[in-house]
Amino acid sequence: MSNLVRAENLGRVFDVSRPWLDRLLERAPRQVVTAVADVTFDIARRETLALVGESGSGKSTLARMVVGLVLPTTGEVFIDDVAMHYPTDRLARRRLRRRIQMVFQDPYASLNPRWRAGDIVAEPIRALGLERGRARVDARVGELLRLVGLDPADGTKYPHEFSGGQRQRVAVARALASQPDFIVCDEPTSALDVSVQAQILNLMRDLQDQLGLTYLFITHNLAVVRHMAHRIGVMYLGRLVELAPRTSLFAGPRHPYTRMLLDAVPDIDMVGRARKPISGEMPNPIDPPVGCSFHPRCPYANERCREERPNLRRADDSLVACHAVSEGRI
Amino acid sequence: MTSPLLCVRNLRVEFPTRRATLRAIDDISFDIMPGEVLGVVGESGAGKSVTGAAIIGLIDAPGRIAGGEILLDGQRIDQLPPAAMRSIRGKRIGMVFQDPLTSLDPLYRIGAQIEETIAAHTDLRGEAARRRAISLLAEVGIAAPEIRMDSYPHQFSGGMRQRVVVALALAAEPQLVIADEPTTALDVSVQAQIITLMKRLAQDHHVAIMLITHDMGVIAEAADRVAVMYAGRIVEIGPVQDVVHTPRHPYSQGLMGSIPRLDQSAGRLVAIPGAMPRLDAIPPGCAFHPRCPHAFARCIAEKPSLRPTGAGAAACWLFDVAKVTDGAA
Repeated sequence: MSNLVRAENLGRVFDVSRPWLDRLLERAPRQVVTAVADVTFDIARRETLALVGESGSGKSTLARMVVGLVLPTTGEVFIDDVAMHYPTDRLARRRLRRRIQMVFQDPYASLNPRWRAGDIVAEPIRALGLERGRARVDARVGELLRLVGLDPADGTKYPHEFSGGQRQRVAVARALASQPDFIVCDEPTSALDVSVQAQILNLMRDLQDQLGLTYLFITHNLAVVRHMAHRIGVMYLGRLVELAPRTSLFAGPRHPYTRMLLDAVPDIDMVGRARKPISGEMPNPIDPPVGCSFHPRCPYANERCREERPNLRRADDSLVACHAVSEGRI
Repeated sequence: MTSPLLCVRNLRVEFPTRRATLRAIDDISFDIMPGEVLGVVGESGAGKSVTGAAIIGLIDAPGRIAGGEILLDGQRIDQLPPAAMRSIRGKRIGMVFQDPLTSLDPLYRIGAQIEETIAAHTDLRGEAARRRAISLLAEVGIAAPEIRMDSYPHQFSGGMRQRVVVALALAAEPQLVIADEPTTALDVSVQAQIITLMKRLAQDHHVAIMLITHDMGVIAEAADRVAVMYAGRIVEIGPVQDVVHTPRHPYSQGLMGSIPRLDQSAGRLVAIPGAMPRLDAIPPGCAFHPRCPHAFARCIAEKPSLRPTGAGAAACWLFDVAKVTDGAA
């Protein structure tokens, strides 16, 4: 099996302590937030892996580590067996950069308002020297704009002249400009209206089929995940609690948190149906619970869950981090 | 049959600009019964929030109500002087907004903020107001309310803050609550808690709720009836079952088709081509005609109005000449 992306024991700790003098005067200790801990996964070529979780689950930090925007505290990301963060071969890493791109959540913030769309899309082409000469760059930009469903003439417009959906198309065209293999999408449709969201999701799936792209898709929307992903990782407080193929996850979620999430999503097929009450909210990541971090909200928690952190274990075709599942209690 | 609590008749809201007068709300009419939850859905710019703002008299200048009337319990409230409107707002109409952090004052304790609202709109003072505040917090599901009264907003989580905002909205026992995207800023597991809470309160207190959101899932679960808005007009209104499962208007059909569902996957989503027009470029005739797969000559020339269709009403010329088969997109 040829895996394009491999993340090994990725972890990231952020120091959120008060300034040094304050700490000294108040005798306050250092404070750290563990945003991501011990995350291991791989993504096959042409596969879409989705990471879902609520705010504060560490999914965006993880995405940023995978593209190389945030340095991991522990672990490493390998893309095509080249180490991203602590490289042994710097030249190989430089060649690697071109093959990884990112699409961000807010197309209002991720496009420079003073640049024309054509220049935005042309920048990676020029920076990486993929085409030489103005005419050839322009031709390539036109081709990319057409690929994402815009008109080549739109290249002369500024971002404010586009609607939200069209801006996200420009962002996708820019990501495709360097001919990447792997695109990390961090909530690419959550700033868009539903009818436009459908256009962008369809576009991204078409591009995957057409260009053989591999996606890491970060979102909080389970319905979008179901539509896009081949495999799904569920995150809770910085850790993967379940990693399963799409069909298994939706047909038979294993981890109590996944079950709870699936029960909680407001769905348009829920008309008149009573929902299961859910208790509590995600705890503060500065002071996470001991043992399994989900135990305070978990209906199946027992003594062991309060003391010992569960590791990901295989259960059929899924990986689940739950004592209750591995003991066969649920 | 009881009479409606809120009647909106032929409401028009305009925003004059240097170049043209933009019509954000174009001739909309609807009723809400006591104890009923009316969901208002639409994409950004459809006019949902402006409708809510018009009802509570909070349209930002230079915007103004250019026509129509709004009746609360039979009394006209759209032309009241600001002082009179202030006494209705908060007392007879409660409000819940999207972001609980901006609805609460970060410098005051939760208890003080609720007591202030109670004192402003009722006769309760001092110890009595405090007791009422505590019972409100208990009612919206905040544990140990006596202790939490002395907390500041930043000490609460997002879901807890939104509960406090709901408690504030209910402080003066309003007849109507306008909730503008009350769950949008919250995580899914917390969203469900707030929806359940609002539904229960509507039943227990017989409060009418106008629930404005872009999330059809929230509407499907919480609302009794739904109004679908597009470019400043209501294009379809009806019982939630009908609008969600057998939408009549081509826009509602497209909207329902474009929502990724939890119980199905793989296939392509139905995307509506194009985007909603900007207010300064609303097409003549039916505003949806450039994106509509069924548009014909009349749609370009004449603006359709709501006419009874099935259990609800839809504004579409298709229902004047022929019936669209249910669910066809």
